[in-house]
Amino acid sequence: MWNERPVRRVNTGWLVLVAVCCLLGGIAAARAATRAWLALTLTGVAAGLAAAARVLIGAGAWEWTSAMRVGGETLHLRLDSISAMFLALLCVIAGAGAVYSSAYWTDAMHPRSAGAGRRWWNVLVLSIVVVLLASNGVHFLLGWEAFTISAYFLITLDRDNPDVRRAGWLYLAVSHVAVLLLFTFFALLAVRTGTWDLGPMQERAELAPLFWLMLVGFGIKAGVFPLHVWLPSAHANAPSHVSAMLSGVALKIGVYGLVRFAGWLPTPPEAGWVVATLGVTSAVLGVAFALGQHDIKRLLAYHSVENVGIILIGLGFGMVATAQGYPAWGRLALIGGLLHVWNHGLFKGLLFLGAGSVLHATGTREMSRLGGLWRRMPWTTALFALGAVAICGLPPLNGFVSEWLVFLGLFGAVLSRGSSVWMAIPAAILLALTGALALACFVKVCGVVFLGAPRSETAARAHESGLAMRLPMLGLAGGCVAIGVAPLLVWPALSRAVGTWHGGWMDAAEPAPLMMLGAVQTGVLVIGGAVAWMLWRRVRAVGCVTAPTWDCGYALPTARMQYTAGSFAGIVTEWFAFILRPVLHMERPEGLAPQSASHWQHTPETVLERAVEPLGALVLQGAVAARRLQHGRVQAYLVYLLIGVALLAAVVLSGVSP
Amino acid sequence: MMIVLSFVARLAWWLLLAPLLPGIINKVKAWVAGRRGPPVLQLYYDLARLWRKQVVMSTLASPAFIVGPAVAWAAVLGATLLVPLGPAAGATLSFRGDVVLMLYLLALARFATTWAAMETGSAFEGMGAAREVTYAVLAEAAMIAAMLTLAVQTGSVSLATMLAPSVGTSAVLLAAGLFTVLLVENCRVPFDDPATHLELTMIHEVMVLDHSGPPFAAILHGASMKLLLFAVLVTQSVLPMGTYSRTMASIVLLVGVLIVTVGVGIVESFMARFAFRRVPLLLTTSVLLCVFALLVAWQGAA
Repeated sequence: MWNERPVRRVNTGWLVLVAVCCLLGGIAAARAATRAWLALTLTGVAAGLAAAARVLIGAGAWEWTSAMRVGGETLHLRLDSISAMFLALLCVIAGAGAVYSSAYWTDAMHPRSAGAGRRWWNVLVLSIVVVLLASNGVHFLLGWEAFTISAYFLITLDRDNPDVRRAGWLYLAVSHVAVLLLFTFFALLAVRTGTWDLGPMQERAELAPLFWLMLVGFGIKAGVFPLHVWLPSAHANAPSHVSAMLSGVALKIGVYGLVRFAGWLPTPPEAGWVVATLGVTSAVLGVAFALGQHDIKRLLAYHSVENVGIILIGLGFGMVATAQGYPAWGRLALIGGLLHVWNHGLFKGLLFLGAGSVLHATGTREMSRLGGLWRRMPWTTALFALGAVAICGLPPLNGFVSEWLVFLGLFGAVLSRGSSVWMAIPAAILLALTGALALACFVKVCGVVFLGAPRSETAARAHESGLAMRLPMLGLAGGCVAIGVAPLLVWPALSRAVGTWHGGWMDAAEPAPLMMLGAVQTGVLVIGGAVAWMLWRRVRAVGCVTAPTWDCGYALPTARMQYTAGSFAGIVTEWFAFILRPVLHMERPEGLAPQSASHWQHTPETVLERAVEPLGALVLQGAVAARRLQHGRVQAYLVYLLIGVALLAAVVLSGVSP
Repeated sequence: MMIVLSFVARLAWWLLLAPLLPGIINKVKAWVAGRRGPPVLQLYYDLARLWRKQVVMSTLASPAFIVGPAVAWAAVLGATLLVPLGPAAGATLSFRGDVVLMLYLLALARFATTWAAMETGSAFEGMGAAREVTYAVLAEAAMIAAMLTLAVQTGSVSLATMLAPSVGTSAVLLAAGLFTVLLVENCRVPFDDPATHLELTMIHEVMVLDHSGPPFAAILHGASMKLLLFAVLVTQSVLPMGTYSRTMASIVLLVGVLIVTVGVGIVESFMARFAFRRVPLLLTTSVLLCVFALLVAWQGAA
């Protein structure tokens, strides 16, 4: 028995090594040999997935230290069940995106950027692997920076377009605020603990205030409202497989940081409340902003804000439960949040790839120019619809399982009658509200983009995407169905992750009737299918004729008379006008023979335009003012030096230690 | 054998009894107005007729135009199977957290119905779908607050136990809140007028303008099952079902459902449909009623 452990370690380690080598090889092959790149990347992610799966099914955590020094620190890698969860998600989305991109961003269509896109794709995946495995602050930061930069190059692949350049710059700037905060966080941590090595240090209560630094740093990456300012434009302007990666995985690495260090470090007593409040805010306002969008990818991007909110509700209540000692509902909420990480990666990846197919086929992201795509793109329509059902958290798919677990956690918090109830009641009500708003939003998207009549010539001439673009979507859709009908399959992995997060929550029994839920979800799927089949047969039996849509007696309907995305969401955007601040332009028809009339409504990036940009302008003004200090007169510089030395002397003499 | 029998009996309750409710409502409205009105069994005749009729499909509609009503019907049926019929009979399926599943199955039905409405590309149906999903936002908030009230009262997250015991002081608030949710979720006056023929002013009826034949029958039958589901929920959440004997509970449930149905008819007879601008206001009131019920229950249970 005793010699089993080392053997197992070697296995996981070998898989990680194979994954890293294949991805590195992929970088070399990216420019010239597309097929070799694809094969190497797929092998790499398969090996990575196998390594993650080994840890998640209970082969134990993998840890590896080497005498080799990188950046002055010895190499220390660790793959435990929390990082394995995120690694598994990374590998799935990276594989799906790689296959998709081989047909979506080809050398023929993008001769300048396709090779670079493949290379940066692998760099991104590798740097995220480094972030997930690093058990040392320096290496974590190195990986983090590489991850940030490679994502920038992927976002700006199509950099001839000024919108793309602007989105990329915003992303880079905001991400570096996050990097700066994280650098401060890790540096302060290293100063206070005396080592850059990372690991559980819950007993060091004096580290708790560092939590706030980390919350903002990782929160920016995760796209928490109101730190999401970089997210909508970056997701909308990146190539679609990159959007899927950003939304499905990159945001989750922010979540990973939060989960990781909320588990390893002591947290201030009010931390859980703050995280849960941020979660609720992100969920409700994310979906409200999504409803106001007319650009399909920007809309999906705002839904990422919403779903990260749901994840944070789970994490926040998990933290509150840890602080107050309620393992029963705390586990449920945290498991719900962690499962939502996977689920959101799967269905949001699917939806972004679907949106990419639409963009590929029609050349526009503007929903008011689309419509009636189902006839030309039946596969994309069906798969997008499946993703929509999943993201609305409807049974029988995976989104419902995680939202249900979070709801159970919230109900448990209410029933525990502790002080957490004052947060749990509003959270439960607002989570229900969020679900209903998401449903409204996706009925709007599906209805306007895929159903009805085409609103433009390009939409009428759309074509279905090829097999290489459909297969990854099929795979992701399969994942959504599998987790939906058999949630018990992912239970052991989640249970281990939660056990790693909080040692005391390891061995408790299955807290929720997941078996029953799986059976019921399967039942819904089977019965729904059977009823649909029976009704279909009945319609065939009684006969079916086609006729134009009932037009209320008005005989000349045009496609432009269909309900638009803006009018569909009109009532809700009016409710949320206090924060959405929609811009309305209206030119009424006037006079006896009105010549022209127009009406459009647009929801701006309110937080960016009304909060961040004024703040940035203020900082710039301050910088301009400070520039007066530098004028080239040597005498004045000598005075500065003198004042500086005097201040230092005062500090040293007054006996304040740094 | 008993299990099979009781399952069949339950299915019969939900499938066969449901179309009676709209008939009763219409009869009440007719009585109040001094008319004879259509027979109580009118919906059964309508369903039988629609089931045999030919289907007219819009040239724009995809096969999901037929699949949508089927999925909506199955989802409502699934939701009804989670609702207990009195403490003795219980629900077909009962587990911790089934209350959330019930709410989300109703949401799935909403998704399928509105999807089918968007199929036709008609501005009327788009308008109806938009209103349906928008008002449901507030109705959903009210529902979850009501379910939290029941959970607090009973300390349980399963419908079978949540609906069983006697209620606390919050019963009146809860009844008012849930009854309002019943009216909006089933598209009754003052939110929607099922009898109107002006497309612009309707919600549910305008969504199904283009449906015909068997799919339309599925939609009508599903709507009546949903009405019955809400009537059963309202009755059980305000009456102390747990204190009655087996037979008594069944009779009380039947009478309760009848009272709720007649109540809907009376409301429709004496109220006009609200202007659309005022609908969210009334809905917010129902959310507040449920939240106050929750607070009262919280105080009572402490």
